[in-house]
Amino acid sequence: MQRRDRGIAQSLGGPLTKKVKESRVLLVGAGGIGCELLKNLVCSGFGSHPPATTDAPPTNPSTRRAGLMVIDLDTVDLSNLNRQFLFRKQHIKKPKALVAKETASQFNPSVHIEAHHASIFDRQYNVEFFEDFDVVFNALDNLAARRHVNKMCLAANVPLIESGTTGFNGQVQAIQKVWAKSYLFPELFGASEESGDMEVTAGDNADEVAKLKEEAEALKKIRGLMGKSEFAQAVFNKVFSDDIDRLRSMTEMWQSRKPPEPLRFDSLSHDSSIIQQGKALSTQDQKPWTLLENISVFCYSLDTLSNRMQAGENVIEFDKDDKDTLDFVASAANLRSHIFDIQLHSEWEVKQMAGNIIPAIATSNALTASLCVMEAFKIMRSQQAKANALAEAAGNNFTPLKAHTSSKDDGLLGGAKMVFLTSKSTDRLISSQSLLPPKAECPVCSPVYAKLVLPESGSTTLQELVDLLKATAGYDDDFSITADVGIIYDPDLDDNLAKPLSEFGFSKDSNSFITVTDDSDEPKVDLVLSSSRQAASTEANGDAAALRFITETLELPLKPPKAKEPETNGGGEAKIEALSISQSGTKRKREAEDEAESAKKRTKNDDVMVVEDDGGAILLDD
Amino acid sequence: METTTIEPPLQALPTAKEKRYDRQLRLWGAPGQRALEETHLLLINSSPGVAAVETLKNLVLPGVGQFSILDPAVVEEADLGVNFFLEDESLGKFRAEETVKYLMELNPDVQGHAIKEPLETFITKDKVFTPYTLILVAAPIDPTILATIRKHAEALHIPLFYLHCVGYHSHFSIQLPPAFPIVDTHPDPTATTDLRVLKPWPALQEFAREQTHAMDKMSGHDKAHIPYICLLLHYLEQWRNDHNGTVPDSYKQKQEFRDSYVRKGSPDEENFDEACAAVLKSLISPTAPSALRDIFNAPEAMELTATSPPFWFIANAISQFYTKHGGLPLPGAVPDMKAQSADYIRLQNIYKTKAREDCAEVVATVRELEKSTGRGSKLAIIEKEVENFCKGAAHIHLVRGRPLQIVLPDLPVTFGDRAKAMVFELTNPESLIGEYIAFLAWDEFVATHTTSSSVKGGKGLRVPGNNDAEFEADKEKMVGIAHKIVDGILNEAGERIEDPEYTEIKDGIEKICVELVRAGGGELHNIASLTGGLIAQEVIKVITKQYVPVDNTCLFDGVASRSYVLRV
Repeated sequence: MQRRDRGIAQSLGGPLTKKVKESRVLLVGAGGIGCELLKNLVCSGFGSHPPATTDAPPTNPSTRRAGLMVIDLDTVDLSNLNRQFLFRKQHIKKPKALVAKETASQFNPSVHIEAHHASIFDRQYNVEFFEDFDVVFNALDNLAARRHVNKMCLAANVPLIESGTTGFNGQVQAIQKVWAKSYLFPELFGASEESGDMEVTAGDNADEVAKLKEEAEALKKIRGLMGKSEFAQAVFNKVFSDDIDRLRSMTEMWQSRKPPEPLRFDSLSHDSSIIQQGKALSTQDQKPWTLLENISVFCYSLDTLSNRMQAGENVIEFDKDDKDTLDFVASAANLRSHIFDIQLHSEWEVKQMAGNIIPAIATSNALTASLCVMEAFKIMRSQQAKANALAEAAGNNFTPLKAHTSSKDDGLLGGAKMVFLTSKSTDRLISSQSLLPPKAECPVCSPVYAKLVLPESGSTTLQELVDLLKATAGYDDDFSITADVGIIYDPDLDDNLAKPLSEFGFSKDSNSFITVTDDSDEPKVDLVLSSSRQAASTEANGDAAALRFITETLELPLKPPKAKEPETNGGGEAKIEALSISQSGTKRKREAEDEAESAKKRTKNDDVMVVEDDGGAILLDD
Repeated sequence: METTTIEPPLQALPTAKEKRYDRQLRLWGAPGQRALEETHLLLINSSPGVAAVETLKNLVLPGVGQFSILDPAVVEEADLGVNFFLEDESLGKFRAEETVKYLMELNPDVQGHAIKEPLETFITKDKVFTPYTLILVAAPIDPTILATIRKHAEALHIPLFYLHCVGYHSHFSIQLPPAFPIVDTHPDPTATTDLRVLKPWPALQEFAREQTHAMDKMSGHDKAHIPYICLLLHYLEQWRNDHNGTVPDSYKQKQEFRDSYVRKGSPDEENFDEACAAVLKSLISPTAPSALRDIFNAPEAMELTATSPPFWFIANAISQFYTKHGGLPLPGAVPDMKAQSADYIRLQNIYKTKAREDCAEVVATVRELEKSTGRGSKLAIIEKEVENFCKGAAHIHLVRGRPLQIVLPDLPVTFGDRAKAMVFELTNPESLIGEYIAFLAWDEFVATHTTSSSVKGGKGLRVPGNNDAEFEADKEKMVGIAHKIVDGILNEAGERIEDPEYTEIKDGIEKICVELVRAGGGELHNIASLTGGLIAQEVIKVITKQYVPVDNTCLFDGVASRSYVLRV
């Protein structure tokens, strides 16, 4: 018995091996963890079932093909090669997904891999797309995409396996926005229609917002000077002098702390060779630059970037590996830090902050990816067990997988666990914890997900949806409907009823969601609706098709009563909270205190330099 | 930010190499990378050994200097399924050569060598292990050969790793030299802050007095910018006056100090907030942790010779410093705090100056020791090394390596002074010692069923369960051996475990044995990959002498997704 998959068959047992081979798996992300995952999946036989042969009856009722699909938007960079082993030097600048497929296909000739060089947010990746998979792996580096995949998987009812690493650990890290990168840079070099589009958050006072808008408008004007010799000086005086003066004028802000000191360009520098100096300095990214050096680099990078705009680049986006943009962000951030009396950082350090760079090594990725595949086996097994139970009920004589089923394991998703990798203590490198049930308060995991079938015409109105909800889903009058744009309906808001749903971004080929919230005294759980790709067919009697749910009936349980004391300090995502539980009691408490302290500090600096992103973020190896 | 404690990799424009390694340099810095590049690893593999190959993959990617694979086998069909490097056309070729070829593709900076010689003859050669900095052995292996390798590794002080990966279970043990010190343990940055507020030196006390002088008459702005360290020192002086010169000692006293002294200064200024928050953390006497005192009292530190490693010279010097001053050399770092920039810089300088003075004193002692032991000038200890030791003194770690446990045919497995600890592990439901015992049984099975292939009629290594027909017989043998080992531990420790616990322990071990036999020596790719990740991580710690490595045995149970570290 020396077959290629002897080891797998021996360890997993026949039926599970078959299930694994016949599976269809989606892998989102082909970075550090993605590479390891793809290799592990291929070598473990996932999706390696050969296309149906003639002598065996198809065991899978659907016509879909077993296989792996990899989606990644990124291209290969030199700094990926220390761990993303599917890539070689000759692959630099090529799409990661395609190269990963090419390399990994060689590991097992019978595996079928599809690769998409695309964004997971693309319209083609709708709920029905996700439904086609047995399991989805997230190996992403940003929170927005993770949240999106999580929601899509919930809507499609497909198991999702999440993972992340930083340095020697698998852990959680918050993203901070850096002023120079998130505000100043796009204002100067971003797409022009975006400028001036300031986000207004609750609690900002109107004057303040108006002033900020004014500030942005002024910057826009300065953009017009681009390419002229006075451009650098104009930008400099605007953001480091005029804007600071305006901030200083808000005396109530500076009662308990040192007001910022504006910088005037002309009082600091008259040297005509400033750009040359900046160019030389920009190669020294380890030592923090002095004030004058920062000005030199600022002028130099601004000059270089302006020349690039003049030469035809419409939009320049910040990219940590685009040295010109990094020079600009590093020097501008430092100048602003100087004004606010914050410690200056070297460019190497700024790169880490602005570029969301996380120390990353091969070992942690290998560990994390392997743990993911273990969880996938468990999920596959639970699906198998369910199938067997059905088969048995139907009088079929299947042997249950005794060797792999122990009563202890029968938790959620076949006993799949959350597993943590830590480096602080060598006693417990890997620890695990049972999955938590959905949280009643969580807006992502508590609702019921359902799909709507929209008539071909595309003219379905909000009124029709309201009628359907009342007729089929048991809603009375007291409920509200929220689309991506905000609340579009509640008992007091009926202006929109005649409008087609497509006006709120909800159509047959969009990936948007509509949330229905029950506001009655005994509320049902939230209902989250997505649209099916299939169009409602015309009725037999020739009547136009009506809007309907994809399933005949829809059962909405009542919301559980709210727990008196929330279990966690809130704010974050359920997953993040759960992850922090890995710390042992006292240590966790201490860290929580520290965190609270530093959070306090950060808030105090809010309007200075650092703006905290909402809810923190899981940050991963890219 | 954590990275500030790591030496930046370079001062000029990054080269392609530095760009490639950028993400890892943020973890172990240029010295770590240098150590990695000076390493030559030897892997001894007698089976598909995927876990070991995965380990190499994880070390080739970050740029280990050289590696050699000793493996006389040729590639078979089963290798293709688990070893992702091998392709159909590798069939029939030497496994070592094929694997080396593909591993080298991952990183052009790395040199790989294939050794196709049989182990039996290889190990008999003179000085055959001297070129290597670290040896990795994958089970199964003939135990007598492993014993020879162990002997060489011990004599040459080469770290030796021994690993198993069977089905859902894996294990590795590390044999380190008897004294393996780690200076750069990368402690939590908050744990390294040492402000010495309870034992201020004159310059610091003077500065604090100056800052807090006539505090009541200060402007609101000035008062709000007194560095919190000065506030603590100021109120500590008051406390001493009120308490016969003693300092707040108990938790209760510290609370009282915080609420009735510091907080009274200002109800809501940020610097007073900082001072209050720091009371419990900072009011600690600078005593050396017990692990460090063990190092001070180690025979190597007490009895220096001209050729003792630098670590022990420095340890001795710091021990003298500690005895003389009742505290360790000052690390010198000052945390961020609310203050006027100029004052903050002065404060930083006060700490830095003191740290430099302390370090200079230790260096002077080291020089005296060098002289008194007659150490040659070529071996003179580098000042930078003393400085690093002084900075991280409180977190220095010493691993006492122990010889690898090898199961030899017809010899009982013994644990010596660890036998009692093993009994404790047996009764600890969290422990995975059962898995370790099952692997020992697996090794004993191999030892007693292997006939050297160099002998006529010899069949080579045989692992339990590799032949379906003998599954039941193998299972029984394995369980029998494992139970014998359990009883052996109890006998050696002179202890008993009563039923029903005794039976439960044996049943638990039996289950693992059955799993190991069922797998028939087969590796699951993802378990092998995970094990390769774990081992590579520990190899990097051992090579870079940064972070604290596993001491000395690690077990992974893939069924429960759990790992456990055991000191054998």
